[in-house]
Amino acid sequence: MRVVIAEDSPLFREGLAHVLGENGFEVVAEVGDAAALKHAVHELEPEVAIVDVRMPPSQTDEGARAAVEIRAERPGIGLLLLSQVVEAQYALKLLSEQPEGFGYLLKDRVLDIDDFVQSVNRVAGGGTAIDPEVVGQLLGRRRVHNPVDDLTGREREVLALMAEGRSNHGICEKLFLSPKTVESHVHNIFSKLDITAAPDDHRRVLAVLTYLRA
Amino acid sequence: MRSLTFAAALVGASTLVLGVAVYRVQVDNHSPHAWAAATVAVAWAFVLAGLVAWLRRPANRMGPLMLAAGLALLARQFRYSDDALVFTVFFLFGELGYALIGHSILAYPSGRVNGRGARLLVRAGYATVIVFPLAVLLLHDRTSTLIELPGVPRRSLLVVHPDPHAVEVLQKTQIVFFYGVLASLFVAVIVQRLVRATPRARRMLAPLLLAAVALALRAVYECAHVFVDQQPLAYPYLFWWQIAAGIALPLALLAGMLRSRLARAGVGRLVLELDRAPATPRRVRDALARSLYDPSLELFFWLPEQAEFVDDSGVVATLPADDRRRAVTTLDHDGVTVAALVHDPSLLDEPELVESAGAAARLALENAQLHAEARAQLQQVRDSRRRIVSAADEERRRIERNLHDGAQQRLLSLALRLRSAQRRSNGDEGGAIDELLAASVDELQGIVEELRTLARGLHPTMLTEYGLAGALGALTSKAPIPVKLDVCQDRLPAEVEAAGYYVACEALNNVVKHAGADGASISARHDRDALVLEITDDGIGGAVVGDGTGLQGMADRVEALGGRLRVESPAGSGTRVVAEIPCAS
Repeated sequence: MRVVIAEDSPLFREGLAHVLGENGFEVVAEVGDAAALKHAVHELEPEVAIVDVRMPPSQTDEGARAAVEIRAERPGIGLLLLSQVVEAQYALKLLSEQPEGFGYLLKDRVLDIDDFVQSVNRVAGGGTAIDPEVVGQLLGRRRVHNPVDDLTGREREVLALMAEGRSNHGICEKLFLSPKTVESHVHNIFSKLDITAAPDDHRRVLAVLTYLRA
Repeated sequence: MRSLTFAAALVGASTLVLGVAVYRVQVDNHSPHAWAAATVAVAWAFVLAGLVAWLRRPANRMGPLMLAAGLALLARQFRYSDDALVFTVFFLFGELGYALIGHSILAYPSGRVNGRGARLLVRAGYATVIVFPLAVLLLHDRTSTLIELPGVPRRSLLVVHPDPHAVEVLQKTQIVFFYGVLASLFVAVIVQRLVRATPRARRMLAPLLLAAVALALRAVYECAHVFVDQQPLAYPYLFWWQIAAGIALPLALLAGMLRSRLARAGVGRLVLELDRAPATPRRVRDALARSLYDPSLELFFWLPEQAEFVDDSGVVATLPADDRRRAVTTLDHDGVTVAALVHDPSLLDEPELVESAGAAARLALENAQLHAEARAQLQQVRDSRRRIVSAADEERRRIERNLHDGAQQRLLSLALRLRSAQRRSNGDEGGAIDELLAASVDELQGIVEELRTLARGLHPTMLTEYGLAGALGALTSKAPIPVKLDVCQDRLPAEVEAAGYYVACEALNNVVKHAGADGASISARHDRDALVLEITDDGIGGAVVGDGTGLQGMADRVEALGGRLRVESPAGSGTRVVAEIPCAS
């Protein structure tokens, strides 16, 4: 799979390229700013772009803005945003701009290489990868009556993984549960939270996040 | 001053006597009584106005000029005498009175004739009224007819070559030149002066309009008198009109000058007015503008320490250059500049007025100067306070950036390398190295997490990246109580966003720690170029600025940016903190 990396810290960029290379990805370009990223995507047509949110020259959200532009030009590309800090409100905003093939992860997640590789693959396949921190922020939000409180501990775990963008299969692996058990948890969650069950993985994520945001 | 009053009284008394004599002379020459009296009245009006003006404004040449005009008008009537010497002497006074009247009109109100054209006109007038009568006297003997002096033949003592025809031509030429050409030019100069005048000057110059009318009437009268054989029916009306204008003119000129005199009385009021209430720069300016009748007046104060002028709000100002529209007068005390007035140039005609107003307002001006100085210093302090806060913010941002771009990235990269190493070692070295590397990665990740927390405390990345809306969103999602958030998405200047963020942090912190609230709400809107931030809760209330809840710090931070912080916290009904921070720097 062809990947472009945009990250202004050379050390981290190299490390990332190395990890991806070792795990069967073909890193076709490593760039350090948004302009070079846009150029590389245009020229090399990668399947996935892994983009640092904060890049020169403004050191604000250059990367995220470049991602929106890239999406407009190439709707099918997978975009994985990396950041030192993740924020639920911002994640939801980005997600509403690009619902498919989108990921938003804390940089630290790269350290869990298997999980990270899965996330890249999911995003490349049109799926979603949302940082657990974001999901945690949404789940932990205080409300007067929070139906999430009605969920069992296991159901909450499943809900969190669902919100991160994982498929039932992914949840099985993560929690060491049988597919049947996961399916029944998912069914319970949907009915307890009163969410319409959605077929595709990414629709499911959207439904869950929409619920959590409300 | 007393001798001047005495002299004036003497001149006035003599003029009365002289007037009666002139009246007799005219009546003896078969002038109607009323007409003779009217002629004397015009002369008296000028003498009276001249004397009063001279007494009131001794330094101004208007008084002597009008006095001389009045006396010349009286003197000319003695040419009716059939005594050869008296006739010869006073014939020379012919139109001198009118030349003097023209001069005083053009010199109004300062006593000086301004403008090359006007000065030339005055000189031409004098030349005409001296040269022509002199020439007539040189050519006149009993045989030639003198206009206005029919009947008794009079003898010139200066005659050298009698020529009746030349006498007639000379006299008519004089009338045409003086009352035709020069009078038209005179009216043109006055009209031009009125058109060009600034509003203040136009009010002062109003008498000139009357002067122009008076002179035009006089000219028509004179021409009708000389050149129309069958005198028209309107002739008596013309006579009385020009008499009325002739009496009104000196009185109007005098009134115009006394207006400045009134203005000087206004200066007296100025002192009282400034004594009554504290002399703020603005009040002093207003009072000066009123007493000098110049609403456009601007006042600038000299700050000796900074060696520059400031306006009445303490802002450094550059004085405009003197030109036709604005004039600058500096006010000094003991040779030290106190202030500068930028005013209507017409005030330059009354330097004493400006001077006396400046002197009257001196104490107030010096007070106001101190005021202005204090304001300027306050402004400097405000600026430096703002700079200090900005610098501190900038420093925090810089450290946060360094952490982000430096230590955090490098530690993360290092962790990533160790992770790669760990994966490669899998199976080769058994559990020990693997475990060691895994522990190291965990340790590094912990450090990165700590640094992240530290950086967030210094300056939240969210604030830099996503502005107030993003940062407050992150803040409230971690809050232990539900917080309703309504924040505009606009990006504002960095120091404003930072101040807003810290105020919200501190306020929310207080809500959680002290208010015992079940919920809070934060709203931020960008309103008329200011950030209006409002944090409310439904807690116990009773918060006070300065009681160690951090409210004082919030207030300081907001005020440093020129904003305001209000805290409403009635006991038992929640707390409302409102910060208004202007965005313009």
